[in-house]
Amino acid sequence: MSHEKQKALLRNLQEVDFVLVELTLYLDTHPDDHEAINQYNQCSLEREGILSEYEEKYGPLMHFGHSFNRYPCGWSEGPWPWEI
Amino acid sequence: MLKEKHNPFKDQYRVWYPYHSPDDPCPPIVRQYVVPPNQYLGFQPPNLPQYSKQEALMKGTLWPIFFSPYPPKKRGKKHES
Repeated sequence: MSHEKQKALLRNLQEVDFVLVELTLYLDTHPDDHEAINQYNQCSLEREGILSEYEEKYGPLMHFGHSFNRYPCGWSEGPWPWEI
Repeated sequence: MLKEKHNPFKDQYRVWYPYHSPDDPCPPIVRQYVVPPNQYLGFQPPNLPQYSKQEALMKGTLWPIFFSPYPPKKRGKKHES
């Protein structure tokens, strides 16, 4: 399929998101754990990088101001991330 | 040979055998259930070893100590209900 790079980016984003979810839950109960805070911040920076790279190439991923829209290849046209 | 201490984090399955009456024609029932590792950890200590992010996504947890795959029961046992 021609969307290998796109899928790889999405997978990477998914992995970083999962780590962020785990760390968020961990930090809820361990607010003083600086190790986890550093890891959390580093992961969110990494996520920002992946997201901007993806959106620059393939269009917005989120609505309501979380992503820049554009035309053509905005969110009004496919394929949606789950359609590739 | 010292019996290896039961490690609740690795082998999470517990087995119990409901009462089997001598008049019961059916084979005895074997019941299995999983006790997840977080029951044995209490408050999570900091700086536990972590999986890589790829593995964490596949395993469903960031810390190997909490990994509980809940594998399907082994079909091999004959009188498995």
